Amino acid sequence: MNDKPKTGLFAYPTAAIFCLTSIFWMMIATFLGLLGATLLIAPDLTEGIGWLTFGRVRPAHVNLVLFGFVTPGLLAAAFYYIPKLLRTDLFSEKLGILSAGVWNLMLVAAMVTLLAGQTQAREYAELIWSVDMMVILSFILVIINFVLTVKHRKEPILFVSVWYAGAAVVLTATTFALGNVVWRPDSGALTGIPDAILLWFYGHNIFGLLLTPLSIGVAYYVVPKVCKAPLYSHTLSLVGFWSLIVVYTHIGTHHLLQVPVPTWLKVISIVDSVAMVIPVSVFLINIWYTAKSKLGEIHADIGGKFVFTGTIMYFFVSIQGSIMALPQVQRVTHFNNWVVGHAHIGVLGFSGMITLGGLYYILPRITGRPIYSRLLADFQYWLVLIGVTGFAIVLTVVGLIQGNSWLNGETVHRIIPQIHLYYVIRAALGLMIFTGAVIGMYNFVRTLFYNPEETS
Amino acid sequence: MMKMTPKAIFIGSLIILAAVVFVVVYMPWSTMDDTPSEIFRSRSKIEAQGRKLYKANGCVYCHSQSIRTIDWGLGAHRIAQSGDYVEDRPILLGSARTGPDLSQQGGEHPDDWHMAHFFNPRFTSPYSIMPTFSFLGMDNITLLTHYIQSLGLKEADVRMERQRYWKQKAIEAYESGPEENIKWLHNHVPQPWRELPNPYPTSEAGLARGHKVYQDFCAGCHSPIGDGMGPAQPWIYPPPFNFTILKDREISGGILYYQIMNGITGTAMPYFKKHLESEKIWEVGNFVAVYFINQSDANTEPRGIDASWEP
Repeated sequence: MNDKPKTGLFAYPTAAIFCLTSIFWMMIATFLGLLGATLLIAPDLTEGIGWLTFGRVRPAHVNLVLFGFVTPGLLAAAFYYIPKLLRTDLFSEKLGILSAGVWNLMLVAAMVTLLAGQTQAREYAELIWSVDMMVILSFILVIINFVLTVKHRKEPILFVSVWYAGAAVVLTATTFALGNVVWRPDSGALTGIPDAILLWFYGHNIFGLLLTPLSIGVAYYVVPKVCKAPLYSHTLSLVGFWSLIVVYTHIGTHHLLQVPVPTWLKVISIVDSVAMVIPVSVFLINIWYTAKSKLGEIHADIGGKFVFTGTIMYFFVSIQGSIMALPQVQRVTHFNNWVVGHAHIGVLGFSGMITLGGLYYILPRITGRPIYSRLLADFQYWLVLIGVTGFAIVLTVVGLIQGNSWLNGETVHRIIPQIHLYYVIRAALGLMIFTGAVIGMYNFVRTLFYNPEETS
Repeated sequence: MMKMTPKAIFIGSLIILAAVVFVVVYMPWSTMDDTPSEIFRSRSKIEAQGRKLYKANGCVYCHSQSIRTIDWGLGAHRIAQSGDYVEDRPILLGSARTGPDLSQQGGEHPDDWHMAHFFNPRFTSPYSIMPTFSFLGMDNITLLTHYIQSLGLKEADVRMERQRYWKQKAIEAYESGPEENIKWLHNHVPQPWRELPNPYPTSEAGLARGHKVYQDFCAGCHSPIGDGMGPAQPWIYPPPFNFTILKDREISGGILYYQIMNGITGTAMPYFKKHLESEKIWEVGNFVAVYFINQSDANTEPRGIDASWEP
């Protein structure tokens, strides 16, 4: 590893700022989620306040979770592990700080525009053109830094985490521009059914080419480190990486199985959705065999604990996703809360857990100080874990009630009172997750700025 | 063993992405038939303005515009075709039905129902968890209503024509006084229904169930005491019916059933046959008859052979 050990608050400023970015926006984003969940049980709560109406809060929640909490958190870890793995310094901390600054400006702009009703109304591609440009600029600044760090590396061999981080930012910058139809600034859309096909190609690749590879990159770094064991198999790493990129990019149309799109495209999406078991199981075998008989070490490291839990969630969400792509299953699950539950297992349970794990892993290492409170970190772990597991259960139950009732000929309107109770439980679980986010913020700020152990 | 160089990672993955985009995005885009369907027409300027408000306020997150072969609910009479969307930029298929699908919403209700519903959805639909849109102001709510009434395109136009035609008739009838109005309403119920009493006996349990259905579906317009002064009343014309004036005016169980089942097109009274099964319609009808009209023909002749459950 690096010859001169670097610690201290300003040794890894880019990683530190992305770390704070993530933990701060997690708080904002989960609050908006909680607000949205509350509006479903108390719809008149924000009566008369247009910018807090459900239809604006929801996209703000989703976009800030994706681009405010998860992505910057996973990038923070990458900004730490890429130089470490390449035995060099980050190409430019100044550029890194600039990219974090642009990133946060973009997030403020995203929140303000979405709550103001400035939207292109395409799920996951809501941001208006000017904010799209800020997203792309943010990614380009990160890409430059990653690529030039790789170029100036002293370690010839690229570890698997570097592949994933590098591919994630490059492929996402590309699919983001494509999916947001940036060559049409007014609408940011194609016309008719092809717009839906492009939208879900892009939308699913936010998970497939951004969150998943960045999360896997962190897991590949953190798990062997925490276990003090070499990665189980380089061959599996290779198979997992290339199969992920080939298979994941084909499956977006499984969102459109009940829509008049070409049948051959639906078949491709279903076949590849099932084929997702290949990259998923290859990665999980690799990680779990690395951690075999080392669960004590995992449990001892709070970062490792979050990350490992994230890999278990990855197992569940991926198997569920493959099953959900089957047309017979989708007759029940489409258009209802089952899918919302699935999204939360993926983004919060898998990517979100690994984000928090990555942050907790790097925080003591970039500051040279221990985490302010392991107890609070564990408390946050349980709040998030219970919250997201509860979401999975409650939203799946609601989805089954909705889907089966509709198939049985009951109207959407008539099911609303039946699912009210579950919406109440869902909001309560949302409060747990938001509380976890606040506790995390407190723990991080104390670690960074007010840690009493440093002065003693 | 493959060597993972920076070139292999960055250029290799981009080449794969390009190939996949060609197959799963470009090929369907370039080969899909974009012939308009038989119901297609372009949107008017005012409808397009309403659509902007629909987008800006995130209606798409709770309302799909995509009817499937397996659907029974609102709009289920027409399965979506790709030719319905040929000018939609962006397409607003939606991914959730927190509220009903709106593909064929145009002409389901007259404009005044929508105004009341946008101002506060609970006025017309007590179960609803939709946000209030009073913050948009009346001008914008009017634009939004124009858009909603265009959903279904040419089929919506047919329904809107019907709504306007019967709205005018209903207003004429209402303004000619209660006697004429009731006569007009009765004349549009088919004769066999008018002569049909409620075939089932009144029971405490049945009235309690009818009460619940009334509160959940009817009270927003007709009010908890049946006088037509529910919270939606100020928005609706002709106003919601006052049941308390109906005594000795030959209201049969069949008339109540028919009006609840079929609605009164042109007025804000929707049809409830999608929401309520037969038994619920009989029971809410009998609740109205017993409590508000104070006169029920339940279980009177002719009623056919008694159903097997009757005591």
